[in-house]
Amino acid sequence: MFESSLCQILFYLLAAIAVLCAVGVVAFRNPVNSAMCMALSFAMVAAIFFGMGAQFLGIVQLIVYAGAILVLFLFVVMMLDIHDEDKSRGSYIHAAIGVLIAGFFAGLTINISLGLPGATSGTCPVVTMCDSFGELLIGDARATSETAVAAAPYGGSLPELSAAAAARMENPSISEADAAAATSIPDVKLLGKCLFTHYNIPFVILSFALLSGTVGAVALARKIRKD
Amino acid sequence: MDAIIDWYNDLMSNEIWFYLIHTLLKLVLMFAVILAFVVLSVWIERRVAGWIQDRPGPNRAGLPLFLLERFGSKEKQPLKNWLHFFGIPESCWIAKLCTWLRLDREIPCWGLIQPCLDGGKLFLKQETTPSYVRKFYFILAPMLVLGPPLVAAAVVPFASEVNTCYGNISMCVAQLDIGPLWIFAISGLSVYGLTLAGWSSNSKFPFLGGLRATAQLISYEVAMGLSIIPLLMMFGTLNLQQIVQFQADNGWTLLPLWGEGLSWQRWAMMLPLGISFIVFVTCVFAEANRTPFDMAECETDLVAGYHAEYSSMKFASFFMGEYAAMVIGSAVVVTLFLGGWSIGFGADAALAAYCDWLAVLCQFCMFIVKLLAFIVFFVWVRWTLPRFRWDQVMKLGWLYFLEITVANIFLAAAVLYFVK
Repeated sequence: MFESSLCQILFYLLAAIAVLCAVGVVAFRNPVNSAMCMALSFAMVAAIFFGMGAQFLGIVQLIVYAGAILVLFLFVVMMLDIHDEDKSRGSYIHAAIGVLIAGFFAGLTINISLGLPGATSGTCPVVTMCDSFGELLIGDARATSETAVAAAPYGGSLPELSAAAAARMENPSISEADAAAATSIPDVKLLGKCLFTHYNIPFVILSFALLSGTVGAVALARKIRKD
Repeated sequence: MDAIIDWYNDLMSNEIWFYLIHTLLKLVLMFAVILAFVVLSVWIERRVAGWIQDRPGPNRAGLPLFLLERFGSKEKQPLKNWLHFFGIPESCWIAKLCTWLRLDREIPCWGLIQPCLDGGKLFLKQETTPSYVRKFYFILAPMLVLGPPLVAAAVVPFASEVNTCYGNISMCVAQLDIGPLWIFAISGLSVYGLTLAGWSSNSKFPFLGGLRATAQLISYEVAMGLSIIPLLMMFGTLNLQQIVQFQADNGWTLLPLWGEGLSWQRWAMMLPLGISFIVFVTCVFAEANRTPFDMAECETDLVAGYHAEYSSMKFASFFMGEYAAMVIGSAVVVTLFLGGWSIGFGADAALAAYCDWLAVLCQFCMFIVKLLAFIVFFVWVRWTLPRFRWDQVMKLGWLYFLEITVANIFLAAAVLYFVK
């Protein structure tokens, strides 16, 4: 009970700060303020990941977004040295395009989150996850094969509940303790297994997209000397 | 008395209270050790610098005895009392020797008090904030530099486990399954402090210093993360406590002399692991912003770099943050490559079989000794190598280290696959 209520309070607190910061990104006139708000928002999302037991995902969020990409953002913003008053007001066409894109992403997010457990009953997703999976967080080593099977309705889009459960499903004869001991990093292993088996093709396609981005950046940045 | 013991038993039997209490105790210990090491490493830096440059360094400041005297009194009371206690006349040669050794003024301790006096001086200095700075970020920046290294220390294990009657205590504050990544992520956040300090100072040299710091830290983070992948392939875990346990059982990463460390595979792994060690240690130097990589604050081109506009305790926060980063960097290198708390040669298991608490105490001392040794190495490098040029730093990071580390991953994989 203690852990469950703490989990709930933290989730709402962090989510509220994340949303507030996200509003701040758009609302602030000074671009450096916006960038710092974005960093804080990323950090809060990482903290929510931590609260759900997805430590690896949380730390990757921190390293990649807050630690690298946003610092580069800040770097560029500071180099440009935009003053508050210089930031021109956009035209209606820009606003319309922005609303269109934002609406598209909002639709996508709503569509996905409606498929999550507890979405229709109107409770906190984290708590519902805890309840429906027998108070187990994602990747918890204590999960058994029964809970993994219970998670099957959501299994279409989510990976199996825990590596221990996976080990037990592959070999039902091993004891629960052995299964838990065999998987010391459920989180990282789960994610790796998921990425390199189930989602391998999208993963490779994405990495090619990133590669082409890098090549494009180098091509743009390189000055071609004509001599 | 019985009531107290009963209450203690009840309290410790509660799982949550037990967890809270031992975590809090470890937290306080870890924090105290890091802060003490920050002070100590300043002293080590100055003494080793003096030793390398053939001068004494700060060796005078001792525990002052005037604290024991009556205010305004000119008599050297403590020494007099002491002589009187042993019945030695004041004109005796012993008394003269003590006066010559300045024992009438202070108790000497190799100048160890010097960093405390420096801290006190910085604390009492006048605080000047230039009128043209961006106030909010100017105040925020020193906090963002000092905070992250202290938080990052949470996952570093400083001894093995203890079995008490109330439960198992693992001697690290937070046992995360993502140990090294946590340290990289959190200490990487201090780059915000440097950038914001440079930008908010609103003057040219600090701004250039901030930009340099950002570029350097981001560049070397890439090579740093890639360089430990061969280690992780060997350990098969990201949990630092388990990594150190593995080294205690099977030989330190760079000293595989016992357990499974004597196999052909481990000795063949020494090649990729050695490359990892060199790259990782260089990256730790770059991340800690120290000479030969102190691009962000090199006096010859940038006055004092990003903290040129800071004074008093705000400057001291930057200063302490830099040394805290150095201590954490040393702790990570010791944990990953030099066996962490492990005493080595199977002594850990033998001691643990004899007495848990004794083993933990010895391991803690071993960790401290290793940490001190590596900090001395850190300082030694600083006073031996000249500073790189800016383009050399960038070239080293992106052109050499990135390629070497990527090739090193394949080399390690080949060794693990082919050599049995």
